[in-house]
Amino acid sequence: MSYLYGGKILRVDLTKGEIKIVPTERYASKYVGARGTNARLLYEAVDAKTEPFGPENIVCFGTGPLTGTTFPGCSRTDVMTKSPVTGLIGDCSFGGDWSVELKNAGWDHVVLEGKSPHPVYLYIRNDRVEIRDARPYWGLPNYEAQAKIRSDLKNENYKIVSIGPAGENLVTYASVHSNIGNSGSRTGIGAVMGSKNCKAIVVRGTKGIAVADPDAFLEACAEAHMHIRGTEAYAEYHEIGLLADELAYVQCGIECGGDAHETAPSFDGKFEYSDFNKRYGYKRTGCMGCPVHCMEAYNVPDAGATIISCELYPQLGAELRNYDELLWYRMVMQCHKQGVDNTSVATILQWLMTLWELGIIDESITDGYRMEWGNAEAIEGTFWNIVNRKGFGDILAQGMQVAADFMDDMITLEKRGGESTYYHAMQVNNNPMYGIVGRFHGQALAYSVGRRSDLISDLDMSEFGIVSAPIYPIWNDEEKQVFIEHETAEAIRLGGTPEAADPEGYKGKAGLVHDMGMTIGLPDTVGTCKWHTKFLYMYIDAPHYAKALTAGLGRTVSPEELVTASLRMRNLERALECKMGRRRENDTIPEKEFDKKVAHGYWKGKLGTSRAGLERMKSEYYLIRGWDLETGIPYKETLIEYGLGDVAQDLAALGILPGRTEGETARAMKDPTLAHILMDAEEKRSLAGRTTGGSGNGQESVADGEKAVVA
Amino acid sequence: MAESSVAMGSMRTVDEGRQQQPEYGRLMVEPEKCTGCRTCELFCSLKNHGEINPARSRIHVVRSQRDNVITTIPVVCQQCDEALCMAMCPAGALSRNLETYAVVVDTDKCLGCRTCVEVCPFGAPSVDPRTGKSDKCDLCGGDPTCVKYCSQEAIQFVSAEEESMTRKRDMADKYLEHLRTASTQAVV
Repeated sequence: MSYLYGGKILRVDLTKGEIKIVPTERYASKYVGARGTNARLLYEAVDAKTEPFGPENIVCFGTGPLTGTTFPGCSRTDVMTKSPVTGLIGDCSFGGDWSVELKNAGWDHVVLEGKSPHPVYLYIRNDRVEIRDARPYWGLPNYEAQAKIRSDLKNENYKIVSIGPAGENLVTYASVHSNIGNSGSRTGIGAVMGSKNCKAIVVRGTKGIAVADPDAFLEACAEAHMHIRGTEAYAEYHEIGLLADELAYVQCGIECGGDAHETAPSFDGKFEYSDFNKRYGYKRTGCMGCPVHCMEAYNVPDAGATIISCELYPQLGAELRNYDELLWYRMVMQCHKQGVDNTSVATILQWLMTLWELGIIDESITDGYRMEWGNAEAIEGTFWNIVNRKGFGDILAQGMQVAADFMDDMITLEKRGGESTYYHAMQVNNNPMYGIVGRFHGQALAYSVGRRSDLISDLDMSEFGIVSAPIYPIWNDEEKQVFIEHETAEAIRLGGTPEAADPEGYKGKAGLVHDMGMTIGLPDTVGTCKWHTKFLYMYIDAPHYAKALTAGLGRTVSPEELVTASLRMRNLERALECKMGRRRENDTIPEKEFDKKVAHGYWKGKLGTSRAGLERMKSEYYLIRGWDLETGIPYKETLIEYGLGDVAQDLAALGILPGRTEGETARAMKDPTLAHILMDAEEKRSLAGRTTGGSGNGQESVADGEKAVVA
Repeated sequence: MAESSVAMGSMRTVDEGRQQQPEYGRLMVEPEKCTGCRTCELFCSLKNHGEINPARSRIHVVRSQRDNVITTIPVVCQQCDEALCMAMCPAGALSRNLETYAVVVDTDKCLGCRTCVEVCPFGAPSVDPRTGKSDKCDLCGGDPTCVKYCSQEAIQFVSAEEESMTRKRDMADKYLEHLRTASTQAVV
């Protein structure tokens, strides 16, 4: 395993101050690396009883075989832990250059265990590893702490990932942050690091990454670079990043967060991010080894400089109806500096603003702030109270469920309209949702079955494209038409039915969500950026990774085995989540979202996911995945098929391992496009068997049922 | 331009290749285009050392982020006409490759004394941590790898003449832009 891998996993016991080295090979031969190996490391360490903030929880930082190499998007680090937000798997990844440095120091993974008695940071310089005193840096925001560590070490080449005051204060949705703008934000990784009293991991590596066949590897990487640079999506992202996308998402009602309550004032282009970019953007930038450069660097007089990309645009801006661009900018920067998840903060503020508008909460609960849409004082004040754990902010820092319980105790049921305040919380398993709404059917399914209780990594990008293209600001009508036709064909190919391409449809959506999850599993295991796949229409796929790995490792790696590894990882993650208590009923969207029409923009008054429709999509999805339709737990046969026999034994010991009784699942697993036909047949059977109805959307077709018999 | 370089060449005979210098390709770096992705470092080390290791790359992107404002400047050998490294090397290990006009290292002669590192006005050469010998850009034998994978075209391989003209044109564009803004303001 000397090629492409560092070869070693670093396990650091912060309680004892001990360091242990484990060979990567023990995991990599089966789980490849990065998220795959992290999932196995986590599986071996935690279970249902593990306290997220207890010393027995672990935080795994992982790179893959292509991380740190010439392969495009080589900069990702996957971080996994048991989440203090969901109590399930917490996972996110960040870019930049930290992972490249770690690989060059000869390490593939760093696992933090235990809890240090006082603040420390982990120092790594090639083989030298030390646990050092971090008291001089405790309390400092990310940018300042990292600058001070580098300056104290008298070397600008150290790469650092750290937590800010929010992580130190155990704000459950705190992030880890590297350099400027590279955040691992979701599901509270930073808080778990804070609970271990670990401020930062500081790395310098000069050992290099060995390659079996340098010429062939260079050629494979060059091919991938040129493939990306040849796509139409690249041409746009390279010039303007995701500005146009975000603007389109907001305006067509995909990204409208705040309209969770439909009376909220609509976003009507009062704040043009591209205009802000023209005035204050001074440079395009991005991660190491990436040709795309999807991030924008800003320098605003008096407010300072930072880097912004993607979802950071709408969340604390349009979604809160906050049209004060400088307030938005300051808040985004403070999320970096204080180390807290931008998405969670925005969604929680949105929730409070909704409750305020409905007259459910008042100043007596919100520390005196008037939580009106876009109220600057309320946004900023509540943010600082969360980070510093003061007043109501101390409750909000513990997450939406705790905050809802607190408010429910304070407010009469009558004033709450007979509902818990949690009813208005846009969350999946307590994880605050992106502003992206679950009213779009494919996205509702992605949120429900998503691997870390959110939709990223399981998105239905064809649906995203089809619904946003009509108002994409930088395309003419012909360009829009070509794109919609392309995505429609793609949706029909993967879903097996025209309904898969219809935003109002349910059938076939599971095939798309499954395919995206499987595709994104590839870069997540080899340690590169998922944006280069079809996720952002740049179409790097299994053959590209396989070609590079074959040249780099000096042994044949087939695209099929990478796909299998991706599916193995997903089943392992699912099995672990099921061990932690996740079941079919946890795979859902907020009650309030059901049958809710889109409130603003291009799709106003349309769509809305029905409960029956979601259940139908979930059933198709489980069929394809090989998971039990009743519980959502992977079948014994599925786990064994992916070489997870020991996992099957663990589930059997817990008495929750389902066995497969009929052949439908096996057929859907082989060909996902059959899933909708098989489910049609299944619904017919249950209709015939029982007098009560099935869970379809009432559009079952006889022809489809007949095809199922033939198939 | 061709005449003047012939004249200069006849005055100084140390470096006969200079007579044709305007024809040679050279690395033109435009730092304002660079995003700091360091793809050049990754590819350079793979091409020239058979491993991926930015610490052994012959091109380095120097990053500064004072007050969180990022500047990224690719630093690479300029293959100077009067190369101080070549002139000062006590072992005579550096010489001009007349095919490419690159200053190249003879690692058999190199002592690893770091004189080239010290005298270079750009700090471009380095002593390779693995071999202990001077290591510097040799233009990949006339087909520089870094240029091919710089998606920003912040490093380009052009003739000296082309580089001069590009710089002049950039300057002229700025001047014209300035004039245009000034005149618009005057009208308003």
